[in-house]
Amino acid sequence: MDKEEKVMVSVQNIYKKFSRDLKSSLYYGMLDVGSSLLNLQQKELRLRKHEFWATNDLSLEVKESEILAVVGANGSGKTTLMRLIAGIYPIDHGQIVFNGVKKITPIFALNAGMQPLFTGRENILIKGAMLGMSKKELEEKMDFIIDFFEYKDFLDMPVGNYSSGMKARLAYSVAIATEPDLFIIDEALAVGDSLFKAKCYDHLKAYVKQPNKAVIFVSNNIKKVLEVATRVVVIDKGVPIYDSKNIYEALTFYINDCLKDTIDERTRQLRLEKIRSYEI
Amino acid sequence: MGIYKLLQQNGSDFFSNMRKYRFLLVQLIRIDILSGYKKSFIGILWMVIYPILSVIIWIILNGAGIIQPGESSIPYPAYVLLSTSIWGFFIGIYQTTSQIILQGGRMMIMNKFPQEVLMVNKIIVHLILFAIPFVVNLVVLLLYGVQLSWTSLLFPIALIPLLLAGLAIGLVVAVLRVVAVDVVAVIDEFLKLLMFLTPIVYTPKLNISGLSTFIEWNPLTYLVGFSRDLLTSGIFSDTQSFLICSAGAFVAFVLAFIFFQTVGPRVLERLVTN
Repeated sequence: MDKEEKVMVSVQNIYKKFSRDLKSSLYYGMLDVGSSLLNLQQKELRLRKHEFWATNDLSLEVKESEILAVVGANGSGKTTLMRLIAGIYPIDHGQIVFNGVKKITPIFALNAGMQPLFTGRENILIKGAMLGMSKKELEEKMDFIIDFFEYKDFLDMPVGNYSSGMKARLAYSVAIATEPDLFIIDEALAVGDSLFKAKCYDHLKAYVKQPNKAVIFVSNNIKKVLEVATRVVVIDKGVPIYDSKNIYEALTFYINDCLKDTIDERTRQLRLEKIRSYEI
Repeated sequence: MGIYKLLQQNGSDFFSNMRKYRFLLVQLIRIDILSGYKKSFIGILWMVIYPILSVIIWIILNGAGIIQPGESSIPYPAYVLLSTSIWGFFIGIYQTTSQIILQGGRMMIMNKFPQEVLMVNKIIVHLILFAIPFVVNLVVLLLYGVQLSWTSLLFPIALIPLLLAGLAIGLVVAVLRVVAVDVVAVIDEFLKLLMFLTPIVYTPKLNISGLSTFIEWNPLTYLVGFSRDLLTSGIFSDTQSFLICSAGAFVAFVLAFIFFQTVGPRVLERLVTN
């Protein structure tokens, strides 16, 4: 089984800084505008006043057919990392090398871009187009999307009148129909009721069995990680501090070492118990 | 030189992105046009009703009598009506494109797509929203006795430099609006003032002390004036100044577009969204 696995994404020593103070952030933004105009690359790895590293010399590999869970406390840099991989934010320093990844679908907020006054059917087209699908692709995938969504009767109702679960289901169904090589899911993995969640898990597991597919997802939900992850990376202050294919150990580490300051003893025990009971 | 390569790169990126994202473009245009009318029973009919209503109000107000400020070859109300809609064409494209990153920001940090799709979206929506009231205004002009000639058909082409000029300022401000709010406030106010520093509600022949020099050096005087004269009298007035200003608008647009494409993505991280 342990043949050489193909590395699809190689994140190499990336740095990304942000400012905690709004006005400094805007001021540095103006400087960025100036330096891109003069084509000056800011190479120096120095923090200015109020700045912090959202990712700090972060390196990470994602291999073919992996479902990689990135976990970490709030503000540890998970979403920033996802935006960097998705190419939404420019990288301050370092690089990300892709191997055979032609299409990336990132989902950060399922509802983003959905139009409340437009019907479900119209929103399938809107969301699909936003995720880079063409008209032809969407026509081909329409049946699949509607099938996965399940609520056929609601398709001609304005999405603004959908329940939040239903909205999320619709968006998720469109997102998976894009069939990316790399699927980036931030806090939106498995939505809706428990039956739909189970369907999402099964779909993802089957999905990565195909050649040249991988999934990275961000979640702090222990159950979700236990359900689907094939590997866990724990991030703290922009640095990966634990990387393991042993999901139970990684999560135990996360709860014991990463969350020790933020949760009380009772919560900690409860969460550990969750992991233990899942094993049996 | 590097600038040629940069142009080529930006240009080919632009066209391949447009091909790839044309369906998104269609969807965004639909959203912009239809969103406001989704709850309405008569829907996009409002797009015709509104301009007709405003023109009626206009005619009534003007019937109240107005002094002739400066000499013009056409009736003054018709002159102002036409001038303001040409001005609206310029300022409208500025207003929509200058909001692109701020308004579309949340969408852009949630999904990865090229921001020039939003630019083309705004241009097309702007053209549609301009064309409808303009046709209504044209009817009014004819009622006021304005005679159109064959060369008037070139009018839409004569508007292109104004579109490019509005876009040029809009694309730069779109980026600045994220990080340099104070600068943008000044530009916004200046552009409001600029309408009165351009012969819109008065004619270029009117001599206003002190302002005349500004009006003379204001490129919009020629860009607006040329297209207005072309439509109303079919003549090419001050063609040389128009061509120079048009070339200037084109160059400004190209530079602004490169600026928007290179710097735009850099300011996304400075957005404050929810």
